[in-house]
Amino acid sequence: MPTHDHYVIIGNGPAGNAAAFTLRENDPDAAITIISHENICFYSKPKLVKYLAGKVDEDALAVRTMDEYRRRHIRLRLGQTVAHIDPDSQSLHLSHMEKVHYTDLIIASGARARLLPSMKPYADCLTFVTEFNDTRGLRKKIADGSRFFIFGGDLVAFKFLKMLTDMGKQVTLLLYPRAFWPHRLTKDMQDAIVKNLAPTGADILADDDLDTIVQDQGKYCVTTKQGVRTQADLVFSFNGLIPEVDFARGCGLEIDHGILVDETMRTSLEHIFACGSCAQIYNPDINTYTTSIGWPNAQVQGKVAGLNLLGEHHKVRPAGRKYFDLEGVKIKTSWWEDLEKGKDT
Amino acid sequence: MKKNGLYSKEEKIFQDKNKLYRAHSVKQIAYSTDPRDFGQVAKSIPCQEACPARTNIPGYIRCINEKRYGRAYELNRGANIMPGVLGRICSRPCETACRHGAPDNGVSVGICHLKRACADLKSPMHRIIEGLYAPTGKSVAVVGSGPAGLAAAHDLAILGHRPVIFESMEKPGGMLMYGIPEFRLPRDLLMTEINNILRLGVELKTSQAVGTHITLETLTQEFDAVVVAAGCTKPRVLEVDGEDLENVYNGLEFMKAVNAGETPVVGNTVAVIGAGFTAVDCARSAIRLGAQQVAMHIRKTMDDMRIDETEKHEARFEGIGVESLVQPVKILGENGKVTGIQFVRTRIEKTGTPPFKKSVPIADSEFFIPCDSVIAALGQAPDVHDVSDAFTGLDKDSPATGVKGVFAAGDFVTGSTDVISAIAGGRRTALAVDLYLTDMERKKTVVRLESHATTDRPRSYDFIDRVPMNTIAMDQRLADHTKEVETGFDPDQALEESQRCYLCNLKYEIDPLRCIYCSACIDVAPKDCIKMVETIPVNADGTYGRYVQTGQWNQVVSITIDNEACIRCGQCYDVCPMDCISVTKTELIQMDMDE
Ligand SMILES: Cc1cc2nc3c(=O)[nH]c(=O)nc-3n(C[C@H](O)[C@H](O)[C@H](O)COP(=O)(O)OP(=O)(O)OC[C@H]3O[C@@H](n4cnc5c(N)ncnc54)[C@H](O)[C@@H]3O)c2cc1C
Ligand SMILES: Cc1cc2nc3c(=O)[nH]c(=O)nc-3n(C[C@H](O)[C@H](O)[C@H](O)COP(=O)(O)OP(=O)(O)OC[C@H]3O[C@@H](n4cnc5c(N)ncnc54)[C@H](O)[C@@H]3O)c2cc1C
Ligand code: SF4
Ligand code: SF4
Ligand code: SF4
Repeated sequence: MPTHDHYVIIGNGPAGNAAAFTLRENDPDAAITIISHENICFYSKPKLVKYLAGKVDEDALAVRTMDEYRRRHIRLRLGQTVAHIDPDSQSLHLSHMEKVHYTDLIIASGARARLLPSMKPYADCLTFVTEFNDTRGLRKKIADGSRFFIFGGDLVAFKFLKMLTDMGKQVTLLLYPRAFWPHRLTKDMQDAIVKNLAPTGADILADDDLDTIVQDQGKYCVTTKQGVRTQADLVFSFNGLIPEVDFARGCGLEIDHGILVDETMRTSLEHIFACGSCAQIYNPDINTYTTSIGWPNAQVQGKVAGLNLLGEHHKVRPAGRKYFDLEGVKIKTSWWEDLEKGKDT
Repeated sequence: MKKNGLYSKEEKIFQDKNKLYRAHSVKQIAYSTDPRDFGQVAKSIPCQEACPARTNIPGYIRCINEKRYGRAYELNRGANIMPGVLGRICSRPCETACRHGAPDNGVSVGICHLKRACADLKSPMHRIIEGLYAPTGKSVAVVGSGPAGLAAAHDLAILGHRPVIFESMEKPGGMLMYGIPEFRLPRDLLMTEINNILRLGVELKTSQAVGTHITLETLTQEFDAVVVAAGCTKPRVLEVDGEDLENVYNGLEFMKAVNAGETPVVGNTVAVIGAGFTAVDCARSAIRLGAQQVAMHIRKTMDDMRIDETEKHEARFEGIGVESLVQPVKILGENGKVTGIQFVRTRIEKTGTPPFKKSVPIADSEFFIPCDSVIAALGQAPDVHDVSDAFTGLDKDSPATGVKGVFAAGDFVTGSTDVISAIAGGRRTALAVDLYLTDMERKKTVVRLESHATTDRPRSYDFIDRVPMNTIAMDQRLADHTKEVETGFDPDQALEESQRCYLCNLKYEIDPLRCIYCSACIDVAPKDCIKMVETIPVNADGTYGRYVQTGQWNQVVSITIDNEACIRCGQCYDVCPMDCISVTKTELIQMDMDE
């Protein structure tokens, strides 16, 4: 029986894809569309690190081929950006002025790099890596460069540090204790991290802050508040992520850091679900709100959103281990799994 | 655009065209009281409609664009009385409504920063202009010299009455003087704008608390009318255990102490509770008092915070954290001093009455945070009985109080709002008092319509990024607590920001009698702004309703420009082969009733 349902998913990451394929498995007839502003098929963000290190090629990043979407009649609209949601008319406004109607909507728009307010004047000097687009031209710069500066303290920061030191590059890390919301690294944790990272040979600065960055002929001179001065070919900023939800503001959705959802992935508005790292959820295990962290968790949430959209009543339980390991320091959270650890492709 | 030279050629052509049009055009001016014109102005100029004082925003931005800063300042002053003050601390409802910030259009115009720019950049020789009415011989007592009291006194003086302000504090200004910190509002500037009001013949009596030093009854006997604008002075309390511990401050008291030059003890870690202006000012002041870690704790979400983005940014820049969706359960202490707070997490629940949501605690979600001091900034309520027991029928939508000859204005009657609402309220009350005293309606609002031969701005202006405000560095902020953080725009920056305004006061219209339905205009339109219309319904109040559109040519009655969607790019105007698109400048103005 043909239906007129049109399920629209904003986001082509693990959450959006899990949602779309779950919907298709359980509803063979509905129209399903994934909209993503990135112009690339579903790829692995965790593998970006190896890609940048020159260990794997672009092809190896792909998680799914175009053909799979064709076979399942899931429409992919790549390179298109959602500008606004109009829940009253159940439509999305795309930035090229098109309107897309939905019967139900799943927001899986992920997160983008956080630019610390104090770093705003130096935004042009900083390099962020949160999506494939950010890596264009970067592979060569990393291969050619010899000294790098990393400012931050989130999970990706440490991955990058190890990647660069493994490549024999000289690295300075300035630890920012509040990079990993909602957790704040205490003095003891910072000390432990500094100690545990010692074997990498990187210079680790703690209890300090960035003061200025001066760009000169393609190189950067970084000065910290304590007066440490370093030259670098690139300055990376890995200070956590903020949910990519600006387009959803002002439409009536309850938004805090991310879009607020309950454990069934329902938002405050009817017909709208949110999942993955754009969604904020209360986690009773650690007694705080968090946004979803990590790939497996995004997938679980996407699946639950898809099933509940079709009328079921599943609840998410945090996936993976209860503690994650931040360079030897155990932080109680339940949302992260290091997918690339140990695997050497 | 001097900076990058990107637009210079286009601008040049545009300016030449402009000159040519000006030389050949004859201005046609009309005044209208037709409800359709009022409706059109309200919908077309969203920023002005959102401003409680109805400031002519596109008008003054246009003047800044022409470097006529003095005129821009006067256009502001005519509506909001204290442009230099508001240009720094206004809550900016206009920017939330600005068309440039609509989905797809980018970011709102820096309306407030431009207001400050005209105040800063006007000539030191600038003269203020006031149209004074003849003296009436009537006197009015005004209780309170906050923005509402000052605005009421200003208008009463203009209308020929003799206002006398009774203020309980030593200095005038209300929360402008005692609440808002000096690093956001320099006191010499505040006093200049207050003195501009006092100079009109307003008498100020300070250290005179009505209800304590003098009764309301005496005022009603000695004056022809009384305006009570005593603001909100009674702090809301947390109602949790431990509130009486040492180092637990009330937000307003804390700010008053800071503004008096005192240095309350805050320790290293400060927990501020509250989400409004006062909370942010307390947090930023605590940082200046030497605190290392300051966080604001709010019951709802970050999105629900009632402060504008610039202030949020400054707070974040100064390192102030926000803990959202939490509610204090009790304050813990040792030896009479604070050691921390126990909180519970909350979630948002829908309700049937405004604001249609509330925060409710999540069961078993208690947690503790250590801190050295607590500042409870939950806002204030009016202390009505402090002034008089006579008030029983206060209504927040009416200047009348139920007591004959006694009127009310500002936060005292509306509850905590913001400075611009208090000023607008003060002005409204002054008109009500004037009617009571003279039995004459002396002013009317009309729509001024003026033919406009040009489209005024090239399309490239639509892509200019918002100009960020200049600020001083963190070490300077810490070195001098009272040093103003924002330093204003220079003339180039003001010009650049002014170019971003669409000038929504220009109304674009198609003459249906000349239109040949070629749809050339629709083809070039950057928005869904030109519509094929079947009918335009008229609302009960005489204004136009929403267009009924059609896609079928045989049903099209006219091709019409939707001035709510139009971004005044002028492209339709340029391509129309029949020259049937006209531009009219629309403006709300105050006229004397007998004019
Ligand atoms: C370098 C790097 C290494 C990582 N390593 C690991 C790891 O080892 N293990 C692990 O578990 N996790 C890792 N992560 C994190 C993991 O990739 C993310 O948690 C996960 O991708 C989140 O999935 P998501 O579906 O919520 O969002 P995303 O994967 O971020 O997808 C968001 C999608 O939304 C789209 N979108 C956003 N806004 C719009 C809009 N307005 N209009 C249209 N489309 C829009 C984007 O185009 C994108 O397709 C890593 C991340 C990075 C950057
Ligand atoms: C810390 C703080 C920061 C703020 N920041 C902003 C901001 O950035 N932007 C913004 O728009 N708004 C802000 N506000 C709100 C704004 O200041 C008020 O809404 C506004 O001042 C209200 O004006 P008002 O004239 O009604 O009352 P008030 O400004 O409160 O003035 C009332 C006056 O009456 C006097 N008074 C009281 N009782 C008596 C009596 N019995 N006899 C004689 N005089 C009496 C008081 O001393 C006071 O001077 C802030 C408020 C606070 C507390
Ligand atoms: S673009 Fe200009 S006139 Fe239009 S709403 Fe914004 S500030 Fe007002
Ligand atoms: S000026 Fe004309 S083309 Fe431009 S936005 Fe307005 S109606 Fe549309
Ligand atoms: S371009 Fe002129 S004539 Fe053609 S449809 Fe538009 S208004 Fe009518």
